[in-house]
Amino acid sequence: MTEEKKSLLGESSLEFARKLVQEIENGNESGVEAMIDELADLRESTLFMEVGKLTRQLHDAINSFHIDAKISELADRDFPDARERLNYVIEMTDKAANTTLNAIEESLPMCESMEDSARRMAEEWQRFTRREMSADEFRAMSPRIGKYFEDSTEQAGQLRGKLTEVLMAQDFQDLTGQIIKKVITLVEDVESNLVKLIRIAGAGAVEKKKEDKQDKDIKAEGPVVPGVDDVRADVVSGQDEVDDLLSSLGF
Amino acid sequence: MASDRQFERRKLVDKNMKILIVDDFSTMRRIIKNLLRDLGFTNTQEADDGQTALPMLQSGDFDFLVTDWNMPGMQGIDLLKAVRADAKLKDLPVLMVTAEQKREQIVEAAQAGVNGYIVKPFTAQTLKEKLDKIFERIEG
Repeated sequence: MTEEKKSLLGESSLEFARKLVQEIENGNESGVEAMIDELADLRESTLFMEVGKLTRQLHDAINSFHIDAKISELADRDFPDARERLNYVIEMTDKAANTTLNAIEESLPMCESMEDSARRMAEEWQRFTRREMSADEFRAMSPRIGKYFEDSTEQAGQLRGKLTEVLMAQDFQDLTGQIIKKVITLVEDVESNLVKLIRIAGAGAVEKKKEDKQDKDIKAEGPVVPGVDDVRADVVSGQDEVDDLLSSLGF
Repeated sequence: MASDRQFERRKLVDKNMKILIVDDFSTMRRIIKNLLRDLGFTNTQEADDGQTALPMLQSGDFDFLVTDWNMPGMQGIDLLKAVRADAKLKDLPVLMVTAEQKREQIVEAAQAGVNGYIVKPFTAQTLKEKLDKIFERIEG
């Protein structure tokens, strides 16, 4: 049987055919039947071989997909990582919004009180310029004017402080922007890996694992996300540690 | 008194000095610009990365550079190195204001000759302190 599989047009096939013709001529029905069964077996085993070959290809394809370290990295690390990063973005934007709203809520009553006292002083001042004010009343107004100037200076200073708080709260945009850019890069990675998967499944091609380029340069990493980056790399946890490190270097 | 000494020193700093702020995020540039204005420094200009900043520095008689690290085009660390390598710019004070906070990065910046390093997010007080410290060293 194995010989026949290898060369269907070979000597043994010819032999087989002659024998079959002979059996038919001899009217040997059971012999003919046996020979046709043998032929069918041959055909079936070729089919099995093809299925086997396909199975092997599928197996290789799946293996090569597993081998692509990038894929398992995506699943094991990068996705949870991206989730953490996006959560941090939510946290930062939330904090910024609250800081801004708090500052505004504290500023508005200050504005109102400044407006009120300015209006009251203006009314009194107008009465004075219209000479409707007695000398006693004027003497009573004089310290109020002094206090008004003091209060205005103080409240303007407080307002200025609140505005600086609002200003500083906007720094989230820079940091969240950098984090979101990183997540976008991850999404692009997933996309290209999906394309690869489709190619492997479609053509049965074996993807060679790409050698990771070893970059010796110190690269910019973007903002450190608490709980994600700081557990992995040697990072400082704030300005104080930066100052300590720099002073240890002679700064 | 400490506050008097500080006042004397601040008087010596030229508030009219020309400062270049380099950051790829315009919100961060605005924040730094406003904080500097609050500290009395009104003569500021902006650039969105090292590539834009370097020609401005080379032709623009700037007195101070505040730069981010992570930017498209030319990164802040490369800008710092380019500044230190330029005969005309090599003594320009450079303050890095960045989210990069790996120890090796801070060490690299220090070795490249940075004058101050602030990590984001930062406070107005931190910026003031670092500026004071840089001016103190330059005068001292």
